[in-house]
Amino acid sequence: MKNNNMSQLNIKQNSEVGEETSPTILLFLRRIWLNIWHGNPPGPVLLLFGLTVAIIMSIPIIYVIWRSLFAGAERWMRLLDERIPRLLWNTLSLTAAVTVCTVIVGVSLAWIVIRTDIPGRNIWRWLLALPLVIPPYVGAVTYIIVFGRSGWARDFWRDTPWLVNSFGDYRVNIFSFWGIFFVLSMFTYPYVYLIASAALRKMNRNFEEAARSLGMSSSQIFWKVNLPFLRPAIGAGAILVSLYVLSDFGAVAMLRYVTFTAAIYFQRASFDTASAAVLSLVLIALTVVILWIESGTRKKNKYYQTANSYREPSILQLGKWKPLALLYVSAIFFVSVFLPVSVLVYWSNIGIRMGALNERFFGFALNSLRISGFAALLCMLLAMPVIYLKNRYPSVISGIIDRLAYGGYALPGVIVALGFIFIFNNHIPALYRTFYMIAIAFVVRFLPQSMQAGEASLSLISPRIDEAARSLGYPPWKVMLKVILPNMLPGVLAGGALVFVSSIKELPVSLMLRPPGFDTLAVRVYFEAHEAIYHLAAPAALLIIIVSIIPLRYMLSKY
Amino acid sequence: MIKSKKSIIVLLVAILSLSLYATGCGKKANTPAAPPKGSENVNTDPGQLVVYSSRNERFTQELLDKFSADTGIKVLPLHGAKELQIVEEARNVQADIFISNDLGALGYLHLEGLLQGANPKGIETIPANFRSDDNAYIAISLRARGFIYNKDLITEKEMPRSAEDLFDPKWAQLKNGYAITRGGNGGMIGHVSALRYEWGDAKTAEWIDAIRKNSAGIYQGHSEIRKAVGAGEHTFGLVNNYYFHQQLLEPTNNNVGFIYLDQGQGQMGAVANAAGVGLVKGGPNGANAIAFLEWLLLPENQAAFVGASLELLINSQFGAVYPPAVQPHIIDFKDLKLQNMPIKELGNYFQDTRALIEASGLDLDLK
Repeated sequence: MKNNNMSQLNIKQNSEVGEETSPTILLFLRRIWLNIWHGNPPGPVLLLFGLTVAIIMSIPIIYVIWRSLFAGAERWMRLLDERIPRLLWNTLSLTAAVTVCTVIVGVSLAWIVIRTDIPGRNIWRWLLALPLVIPPYVGAVTYIIVFGRSGWARDFWRDTPWLVNSFGDYRVNIFSFWGIFFVLSMFTYPYVYLIASAALRKMNRNFEEAARSLGMSSSQIFWKVNLPFLRPAIGAGAILVSLYVLSDFGAVAMLRYVTFTAAIYFQRASFDTASAAVLSLVLIALTVVILWIESGTRKKNKYYQTANSYREPSILQLGKWKPLALLYVSAIFFVSVFLPVSVLVYWSNIGIRMGALNERFFGFALNSLRISGFAALLCMLLAMPVIYLKNRYPSVISGIIDRLAYGGYALPGVIVALGFIFIFNNHIPALYRTFYMIAIAFVVRFLPQSMQAGEASLSLISPRIDEAARSLGYPPWKVMLKVILPNMLPGVLAGGALVFVSSIKELPVSLMLRPPGFDTLAVRVYFEAHEAIYHLAAPAALLIIIVSIIPLRYMLSKY
Repeated sequence: MIKSKKSIIVLLVAILSLSLYATGCGKKANTPAAPPKGSENVNTDPGQLVVYSSRNERFTQELLDKFSADTGIKVLPLHGAKELQIVEEARNVQADIFISNDLGALGYLHLEGLLQGANPKGIETIPANFRSDDNAYIAISLRARGFIYNKDLITEKEMPRSAEDLFDPKWAQLKNGYAITRGGNGGMIGHVSALRYEWGDAKTAEWIDAIRKNSAGIYQGHSEIRKAVGAGEHTFGLVNNYYFHQQLLEPTNNNVGFIYLDQGQGQMGAVANAAGVGLVKGGPNGANAIAFLEWLLLPENQAAFVGASLELLINSQFGAVYPPAVQPHIIDFKDLKLQNMPIKELGNYFQDTRALIEASGLDLDLK
């Protein structure tokens, strides 16, 4: 009864207000809003910032889908008939082959270095991760110098009579499937190697001993105990490698092997943008399939390690296998680091004597530095609100923003560039072909790198600190800037360093978007190597590699 | 770990300050400034000039550096640009000058209304059939098509002498075979345009089909062909004459010869094309673009335009300088029998030729 009275008392009030502003709808919307955010919505400033980032990040995808939808049925049919089947075969066979090869090489190296008594284990651990700093297009250049049609190997072969007599003329063709397969494998295996090493280091000795007590041999233990534990690590590494192969432009272009990225680039180069968009859409679909496979396997395979009884894994005695293992490890190091770097040093030396380090060279270096520095700065600024939103205000909306931010990362550079040219030329002419256009494209490509680094430090800061700051009257964005940012600064800066290095190495976006008179080191390496002017390509490539070494320690400690 | 964190921070601070500097001067250097209108402005700061070039960078950069040194105007070059980029940017013009290896491309841009007529000082030095009527584009240097061949592998007598000879399937059997460029190469487009003018489309399409089938290698550009022929990877290749001149300068693999096509009685004459410059309509630095044209028309700079390309100069009396190894092989273009089609006609054929090449099965770009 009392309740009834109360509601009756309120009737008049409610209806009065309702006629003016219809609060039921507002209330309803507000309920939904609060529900989305689990009762804790962020302030408008923060949200707006996050949304802006999301929109920038989704420019290329939206454009490519839009453009390919209006490419016309005829063009679609022509491409589906003639080009797409071959491109699919080229791309998928290369991706599969490189992925399998990197898994075998990466896991075996990790196993040898972490679990056996190979001499110099601790040094090998670092040395074998070094190919990470050599961009595959630079690697491709060095292999063209050595094994190309007029390369060192050909000269050696020609001048060695018994080789010619017993095997005939020099027949190695680096511009082939096997050439690109070899180059990509040798410069991407560290992804698998690093992740597998980390997993192997964490493996619990107890399981192996249990298996051994049941009478299994070392090889049986490897297949039945170790490998299942390694499966998630192998999967993660394989995904990284296959995504890389799908998106690589530089190495395939150098070695004239045509995958989707190269085809998109060449279609664009002959200004058939609609066809380029169609091919891009297919490539995006491939990328999505791989990401989907990844999320599927992650859910299925759960292997638990007991933490409380953890014991460090034992180290196997190599015994008579020692020379063989050493030979294997050295051979991989030789072809993936020593040989390419030596070739570059050799040609840089020639180049420097011929005056390659002139004003022009430093101009290119300065361009690289400026564009990469600015991109790193932008990424540090933009990553903050996105990760803050995601971690402190988890919801559907912040989830979508986060996903979109990662979208550009999985997207090949040629597609990002394609979208940017169109959008900026037609809708933002003031920024078209400027320094800023490339910088923003770099943000689209590399923002997730700074997000990951920032997230790692943010997760160490208790939300209680935020709550305390909020309770003292700061709005969310101010909490972020004044309280959280100073505490997570190391992570943010490390993320910036990663973006900086990725931007220095970046090729397709720089190539397609560069303004007149603004070549970067990566672009110069591409052009000079294309013209076979190696004494000018080598110093630039070497400089890129040296700069890339800087954040290597951080990258390695992450695994 | 703490140490490495510190070093990262130091690095990042350095990056940060650099980027701030970059944002400051990035704007100045890279957003095209408004065209200098007041004459005072021109006097104080010579400003800049945006040059798009589809010509080999090694030939062009020296010329542009000389222009900067002579006039103080800063040149922002985009090497490897294509004519279609000018089309794409028609509503948002970036370039002032377009330098091309293919007069057909310049003619095409003019046809699309993207070039602008002018009357620069010194224009009368260029013969009227080597510039458009309104001087929107002008040709400076000349190249003719022909075969570069490896003298170790084949004698001059055994070589084909006419484009028509390539119909013969016997060239497919030749040891190491012969090389051609992709269909979208400017030299190839010009060549096909001239054949269409001479033969009509049907026979030309057959010819394209024949060389695609019978050749042993299809390359991105002529530099690769001359190197491959010099090294004996192919016996001969279809290139422009100045690639022969360049191969003569190589320290090794330089035992090559050259055959100008169709020089005999009743034959069509060698297919010639020209390299030149076009004035882009509505470019951001209009006054500097005119200054560039007038500078380029000076005799010494016409010779410099040829530069390292070793092409023939249209005004051969201005004396392009060739290295001693090349000089004996230079043929004044007035002594060559050239095709009937006026070179500036090429622009009218440009687009249909591309379509014909593609339809005949020769890819415009390597795939």
